[in-house]
Amino acid sequence: MPTRKSHLPVDDHLLLSTLPPHREHVRLAVAVLVTLVIGLLFATPFARISVPGSEPFLPAYGAAMLINELLTAVLLLAFYWTEPSRSLLWLAGGYLFSGLLIVPWLLSFPGVFDPEGLLGGGLQATATFAALRRIGFPLFVLVYALDRERSVERAPNRHETRPAVIVGTVGTVTLAVGALTTLVLSGDQWLPRWMVDSQRTTALWNIVPITAALFCAAALFLVWKGRRRSVLDLWLLVVLVSLLIEILLLAGISSGRFSFGWWAGRLYGLLAASVVLFILLAETTTLYARLARSTSAERHVRETRLATMEALSASIAHEVNQPLASMVTNANAGLRWLDKEEPDLGEVRGALLRIVGEGHRAGGVIESIRAMFRKEPRARVAVDINSLILEVVDHWRNKALIDGIVLRLKLGEALPPVSGDPIQLRQVIANLVTNAADALLAVEGSRRLLEVSSGLDGGGAVLVSVADRGEGVAPVLRDHLFEPFFTTKSDGMGMGLMFCRSVVEAHGGRLWMADNAPCGAIFHFTLPAGPADIRAEPDPKP
Amino acid sequence: MTEANSHVFIVDDDPAIRESLGSLLRSVGHCVLPFESTEAFLEGEHPDLPSCLVLDVRLRGRSGLDLQRELARRGIEVPVVFITGHGDVAMSVTAMKAGAIEFLTKPFRDQELLDAVCRGIEIDRERRRHAADFAELAARFEALTAREREVMQLVTSGLLNKQVAAQLGLSEMTVKVHRANAMRKMEAASLPELVRLADRLKSPGFKA
Repeated sequence: MPTRKSHLPVDDHLLLSTLPPHREHVRLAVAVLVTLVIGLLFATPFARISVPGSEPFLPAYGAAMLINELLTAVLLLAFYWTEPSRSLLWLAGGYLFSGLLIVPWLLSFPGVFDPEGLLGGGLQATATFAALRRIGFPLFVLVYALDRERSVERAPNRHETRPAVIVGTVGTVTLAVGALTTLVLSGDQWLPRWMVDSQRTTALWNIVPITAALFCAAALFLVWKGRRRSVLDLWLLVVLVSLLIEILLLAGISSGRFSFGWWAGRLYGLLAASVVLFILLAETTTLYARLARSTSAERHVRETRLATMEALSASIAHEVNQPLASMVTNANAGLRWLDKEEPDLGEVRGALLRIVGEGHRAGGVIESIRAMFRKEPRARVAVDINSLILEVVDHWRNKALIDGIVLRLKLGEALPPVSGDPIQLRQVIANLVTNAADALLAVEGSRRLLEVSSGLDGGGAVLVSVADRGEGVAPVLRDHLFEPFFTTKSDGMGMGLMFCRSVVEAHGGRLWMADNAPCGAIFHFTLPAGPADIRAEPDPKP
Repeated sequence: MTEANSHVFIVDDDPAIRESLGSLLRSVGHCVLPFESTEAFLEGEHPDLPSCLVLDVRLRGRSGLDLQRELARRGIEVPVVFITGHGDVAMSVTAMKAGAIEFLTKPFRDQELLDAVCRGIEIDRERRRHAADFAELAARFEALTAREREVMQLVTSGLLNKQVAAQLGLSEMTVKVHRANAMRKMEAASLPELVRLADRLKSPGFKA
């Protein structure tokens, strides 16, 4: 675990026990609370009506409660497994304690399985189990809230110790419940006199709901005031409020066991516990789904990055290999011209000159690749975009003639210089022109019109557009256009547009595609006009 | 070494590669014709001389492999030496299957390229000689009369003069005259040689 101070790492906020509640969480919790209170108001007038013969429903209630509380405990222990914080153990322990105590409480309840209750306990046993549950659970929550505030700086807990801690917690709670059960069942004469008979309570019993209510209120206060309230804490607040209502119904309004109010209180607790459990489950599932999505997205990003690397290295290999091959061949040719009986020095000279040129070309390629990875322009000089366009177009004019492409230039006059890397920017224009020319090869000769224009956009930036009248770009492909390795050409690398966009963006500009009228595609890019103090370089050759 | 009676075509879109290859090939006496695209090559002039094509696989527009296919489609037989920037196994297999002489990865050894080009030219020269021989033989056969062709076919299929005469309804003497004429026109000194010439004519192009 990384050490944490006041600031939590981002991945910490993925668990319900640490995730701060959203507005929707709070809204939902408030809605549940309001419903609970309305339920209380409806139940109150009928609270004192007795419902005789309703004992058989008690096992169903007990079983549901047991399952609920055990499931909640398991869920909380699972949170602990991912995010080991001691306070979570207290909370899980509380649910486990409360859930397990249901077993002796239900079994010893007089009139449910046996008129005298099973397990052989006395008259006070069942009420004692109830008192232990009522007071025990808020006590655990109280300790949770206190521990949570104290253990902000948690000791690192290694992953290997977690199973032991969880088993230890479950074991301790189970043993404690077992021991208490044994004590209560065997020592009826020392138990407080809670009950007059199997239905009515003594005045002494009033201590239990009052103590429970006090603990609940204290826990409520502590959780409410907690420094880092999580989604879990929010729902814990709902649980505590519903517990308070349950206590009120059971002890304050009802007229003892099996009255309508008593049952309403029970159902209340069950409903509240279920709602909380379901919401915790739903939240966990939602979080899990979100995690799964982000994991797969991350994997996709990684794969894309790998593909990009692969494509880049292939592209670099190609770009560097070309001048290298030319240099080797030139050197060989030069040697052969020298080795002739009558050496042709003119040819040797030509070969050497070409080697020099190719060496510079390879250097330029490498420098340009490095500049691309630096994500910042190599050497920013003032560049006249029109002269770059003219250079590119001159280079392509022959090819355009061969392919029967009509080149049309619409260069804006008196454009401000842009500040940038002329090699990269020339490459951007060249890539766009090549793409447009390739698109035109797929259509008839009469449509082969390629237009390069420059001008100012509304915001004072220089705008360059390369338009063709080819087939255009299908909408499904549009999203992938700028992804690396994406190409519609049989011999393309799929690197061109990605390179263009990354260069333009590194220059503070924007590159996008639109439909050309009446057909074809048009690629625009903007470059912010450079600062006026940069001296314009009329011919920025490498 | 002089190869003035042969040509090497270079198709590569990279002008630097074109020039360097040209210089290398010229330095050993080849006559070089460079082209910057497959289209330029297809539309360009191809002197009727033994030749070899040095072709880059990756070209703007149509690739070198496309050109190889297009040449085959048009029935233009020229030995191809491929050069490529990537040592792509799949590409080289395709190229070699389609009859390329050699597949060289840049940067390559000059001697390998020169050897491959010489081999290509020799293969083309040989092919051209065969084609010329065959054309001449076909011309000789064309000079025969219909009757002489009939007699020649039957005789070379192993029949005796008498049998030929019976089958064609001619006298044996007439058959002998036709046969002598056929042998003279086909420039065959003996019957076995005539049989051999007939066999060669039965290979593609023979019209009965």
